[in-house]
Amino acid sequence: MNVNGASVPALSLQRVRKVYAMGDSEVVALDDVDLEVAPGEIVALVGPSGSGKTTLCSIAGAILSPTSGRVVVAGTDISGFNPKQLTAVRRDLVGFVFQSVNLVPFLTARENLLVVDEIGKRTGAPARARADQLLGELGLADRAKNLPAQLSGGQRQRVAIGRALMNDPKLVLFDEPTSALDSKLGMAVMELIQQEMKARGTAAIVVTHDERITRFCDRSVHMDDGRITKS
Amino acid sequence: MFLALKELQRAKVRFGLLIAAVALLVFLILFQQSLQNGLLTSFVGAIRNQSAEVLVYRTDGRRILQGSVISPDLEAMVRSSGAAAEVARIGQGTFTVTPGEGGDGVPIETSILGYEDPGLGAPTTLVEGRLPEGPGEAVASDADAELGFGVGDTVTVLPGGLDITVVGLARDVQLNVTPTLFVTYDTYVQSVRSRNPDAGEPLPNVLALRAPPDVPADRLVDQVNGLSDELDTLTRADAADKAPGVAQVRQSFQVIFLLYGFVVPLVTGLFFLIITFQKASALTLLRAIGAPARTLLTSLLVQVVVVLGGGLLLGIGLYAALVRGRIGGIPLRFETTAVLVWTALLVAGGLLSSLFSARRVMALDPYAATTGAGVGS
Ligand SMILES: Nc1ncnc2c1ncn2[C@@H]1O[C@H](COP(=O)(O)OP(=O)(O)O)[C@@H](O)[C@H]1O
Ligand SMILES: [Mg+2]
Repeated sequence: MNVNGASVPALSLQRVRKVYAMGDSEVVALDDVDLEVAPGEIVALVGPSGSGKTTLCSIAGAILSPTSGRVVVAGTDISGFNPKQLTAVRRDLVGFVFQSVNLVPFLTARENLLVVDEIGKRTGAPARARADQLLGELGLADRAKNLPAQLSGGQRQRVAIGRALMNDPKLVLFDEPTSALDSKLGMAVMELIQQEMKARGTAAIVVTHDERITRFCDRSVHMDDGRITKS
Repeated sequence: MFLALKELQRAKVRFGLLIAAVALLVFLILFQQSLQNGLLTSFVGAIRNQSAEVLVYRTDGRRILQGSVISPDLEAMVRSSGAAAEVARIGQGTFTVTPGEGGDGVPIETSILGYEDPGLGAPTTLVEGRLPEGPGEAVASDADAELGFGVGDTVTVLPGGLDITVVGLARDVQLNVTPTLFVTYDTYVQSVRSRNPDAGEPLPNVLALRAPPDVPADRLVDQVNGLSDELDTLTRADAADKAPGVAQVRQSFQVIFLLYGFVVPLVTGLFFLIITFQKASALTLLRAIGAPARTLLTSLLVQVVVVLGGGLLLGIGLYAALVRGRIGGIPLRFETTAVLVWTALLVAGGLLSSLFSARRVMALDPYAATTGAGVGS
């Protein structure tokens, strides 16, 4: 892994292309996308459904390999990484808040944060301290021992944010983090995301199709049909 | 460990039920193993635990002691061949006997086995008293001591009224699941005569042979069998194992054991496959946030080991606690070998069956975490 100086971008995508094979036909989900996210920068990724936002996040988050192009996360070129190396990148360099399932149902809120340490460095006490601090910041101190099923949608989303920050990532990818919340709750969650990212100087991409959310971000990038149309 | 144990902790009832089910199956397997061994002992213990190493039956007796009758010609042929260092007679019959003091006084079918030479046919598992020395004395099977065949009891052979006193007890020496008395050959002859005074000298049922010092029992068997087609010579172990019914009992139990041997891995394998399917989205999420597949496999393995280990411990514990005494006169004992063999078999089978779940875990695609509907959990 490279040394991460302040000047190294949190993410750099160069001519990234992703083609899904669908039987005989092909779907070009990303069409030679170039994108750079500076350290600590929060970028809103806006675009209609099917425009390639999730695909872009998955590639930036080392969940998916691009068909072609270069992907550099916090100075590490992961373009040619094998599945094992990609797993390590997900564990150590990035955080992810997914569109749907974000929590392990048989773990409490606190354990959902601690599991990140358990599958990774297993530092023990420092990880517990970090989990408690994050839960406190996210207003979940009194919910630490609750299972996901005992939490509201907003609370679950906040646990997911804490989970994504547990490994002290350089880049966090939020895929439509507010889409299942009413707009008031959605704004509150966005505010929290902005606070947490800025407090840590962590870069983020926030996927949304809600223009109101973009005001919590440093800039907006628009996508359509696998291309970045406006940034 | 963390994931495996947290899940166990949160799903105690579910895993508890599985462990209970495995324990019950383990108990049933071991209990039936004891039952099988007890049943076979009750059938042929008298043959297995007597002192003659080689027994000569008559072929048309089909390996049933009472069905075999050695004619004087055949006996003479065996004796004159010189194959055996020593030849002695064994006679056996089923008699109606009134048990002694300890019993309820109701006459009972009893096997009486007479031997000429204590080295060729006496019980080898004496646990109380002594071998018969004179007429009217017997060693009884200890399984029947409480029925009026205890040491000091005097039983009466009907209808003649011959009294026989029990002077010793031996373990596992029943024949055909009836009370059994080992007596001297003279006492046996008296018993036959007391029932039917007109019968002459009864013929022996089998001959007991002692091999010369440098001749193994197997070779002696072959030599004597070579004398005549009418002779069916067997080692002690074969005489017990090849007695009619023994193979059938073994076979029936083997079918049951085979079924159990499949059911336990099937139950655990299916259980883990189902819960792996049920929590597929959680496992996918874990893969997506950087959990190596190996971590999830270890977690699966820990749970499989907990379930099998817990089930085995509980089942064996139950078995050790309950396998005592007798069922319908059949002795039930803790079989250490069976415990060890079944533990190895079931652990191997259980681990093997969990490979299906392991394959599911390996096949999880972290990309699936980015799609799907419904925010939350
Ligand atoms: N696994 C897949 N196989 C085939 N096509 C896919 C797959 N995933 C996404 N796509 C297609 O790629 C395009 C971009 O999808 P996605 O990145 O999910 O868009 P968005 O997140 O902007 O809605 C869509 O046309 C979608 O149907
Ligand atoms: Mg999407």
